[in-house]
Amino acid sequence: MQISANYANEFEKIAEAYEKSGGDASNLLDKSISSIIISGDKIIGLNTVKGVEIESGTQEKGVWAKIRILKGNKIEKPIHLCTGFLGKEGEQRVNFDFFIEDDAEVSFISHCSFPWSTKLTHKMVANVHIGKNAVMTYNDEHFHSEAGGVTLISDTHAVVEDGGKYENNFELTKTRVGTLKVRMDVDLKKNAVAKFDSKIRGKEDDEISIVESLGLNGEGAHGIAKSTVVATDRTRARIINEAFGNAPYSKGHIECNEITKGDKVDVSTLPVLKVTNDLSELTHEASIGRVNSEQLDTLMAKGMSEDEATEFIIRGILR
Amino acid sequence: MLELKNISLTIDENKILNNLNMRFDEGKRYVILGNNGTGKSTIANLMMGVKKYHPQEGKILLNGKDITDLGVYERAKLGITIAFQNSVRFEGITTFDYLTLGGKVKASLEDAKKALELAGLNSDYLKRRVDSSLSGGERKRIELASILMLEMKYVILDEPDSGIDMMSLETISNIINILNKRGTTTITITHREEIAQNSDYAYLICAGRVFNEGAPEKMASYYKELCDRCDHPNDLLKIAESR
Repeated sequence: MQISANYANEFEKIAEAYEKSGGDASNLLDKSISSIIISGDKIIGLNTVKGVEIESGTQEKGVWAKIRILKGNKIEKPIHLCTGFLGKEGEQRVNFDFFIEDDAEVSFISHCSFPWSTKLTHKMVANVHIGKNAVMTYNDEHFHSEAGGVTLISDTHAVVEDGGKYENNFELTKTRVGTLKVRMDVDLKKNAVAKFDSKIRGKEDDEISIVESLGLNGEGAHGIAKSTVVATDRTRARIINEAFGNAPYSKGHIECNEITKGDKVDVSTLPVLKVTNDLSELTHEASIGRVNSEQLDTLMAKGMSEDEATEFIIRGILR
Repeated sequence: MLELKNISLTIDENKILNNLNMRFDEGKRYVILGNNGTGKSTIANLMMGVKKYHPQEGKILLNGKDITDLGVYERAKLGITIAFQNSVRFEGITTFDYLTLGGKVKASLEDAKKALELAGLNSDYLKRRVDSSLSGGERKRIELASILMLEMKYVILDEPDSGIDMMSLETISNIINILNKRGTTTITITHREEIAQNSDYAYLICAGRVFNEGAPEKMASYYKELCDRCDHPNDLLKIAESR
């Protein structure tokens, strides 16, 4: 990919932020990798490979992109989506439409990096359509500023056609969260499969709100929605996991684990299971509490202090 | 020297340990032998300083210094460690990370491989996670390997054979002997008299008391003849109290 001279400096900063969030910036320039680089309200780099079609444009305070994976194509290398904001204050709106055509297969690596923003609202709306027997994996990692001034509002709606598979992994564990409002829902058709996995670590006065919803609407549809939240200091977290068993032989499992550290945290989890077809099976697991005392004792007996042991356990849980 | 002096412990109104006295000299191999439910694991947890097992009476002394009120971490800093009976799962932690405690234990990859091998597992396990994907027996072996990675003065092995097949008794004996050669005092808790054979001194526990003590062969034989067929260790409380 070629970055125009006008954006060379901007790309350099975006690449720096991308690397901070754990990405490998060299991938963004690799011609064999499809990628989109967004800075503020501009797309400063775009590359496509065979089997991938991308349309894009600007909108008020942001950008939009329509990404289509053509029928039967298996995209060998993950598509990289790099979203950054270099200013300290502002708003960024990003709309993505994903069309994964029948029998296609693709994975995405998305890095959203706002390390310098002290007051930023980032709004992302994604519509995902996964065709019959198609597969899409979306790994979304966020890297925010330590000032805690980032507000992230993310809304993803997915439809997975017969036999399709969809996996969405969201991670915000390396920096402060700020304010987070994530909603993900999926409409699963016959024998379709979905997995949501969110891992978030909150500290100071971070606010976390997650809603994950599985619509098991086709016969034999399967889904898992799992959230793991580590809440420290004065973090507030509200987690809702939902599963709706509307079709025979559909199975859904929802799970929420919240680890607390600090006597001022305020966390809750609400599992919602609803069955409208008596051949559907739904299960849930939930836990809220401090790090397991047996794990702590095991590590402390090896010479780790309680703080070291807690950190060691939490890092493992969020891995 | 680690000593338990006149220890009594009651949990939820049940008297678990009853005026217990034990002594562990440096560099020796001890075994604490007894049936299930006689208080052996309670002794292990109490020696390690696990909160729930703080005695109501008696003292725990390390080289004459009272350590009864010290917690797990403080005792570990003094050179006491334990392989608990139940090897807990650690989500997301690889065996290598676990063995090196995320870099806190300064050891090479080769050291970790060797410890694992001595515990009966190959190096493929280093990348595996110490979670529910491993069986209880595999986690137990990783726990034993982790003990070998540490340099401690007193090692408590609580039922090291539980969840591990008979063939592995040799592995356990081997680990005890390696620790012993380093000058570590080992305190092995078991209900199997075969393990007692590989020790220098044995305590026989019944109803939260030392019922007998002495040469391992003698205690093993005593245990086999009397305790092994006794299904009601609590009934022995009266006998123990009368001694």
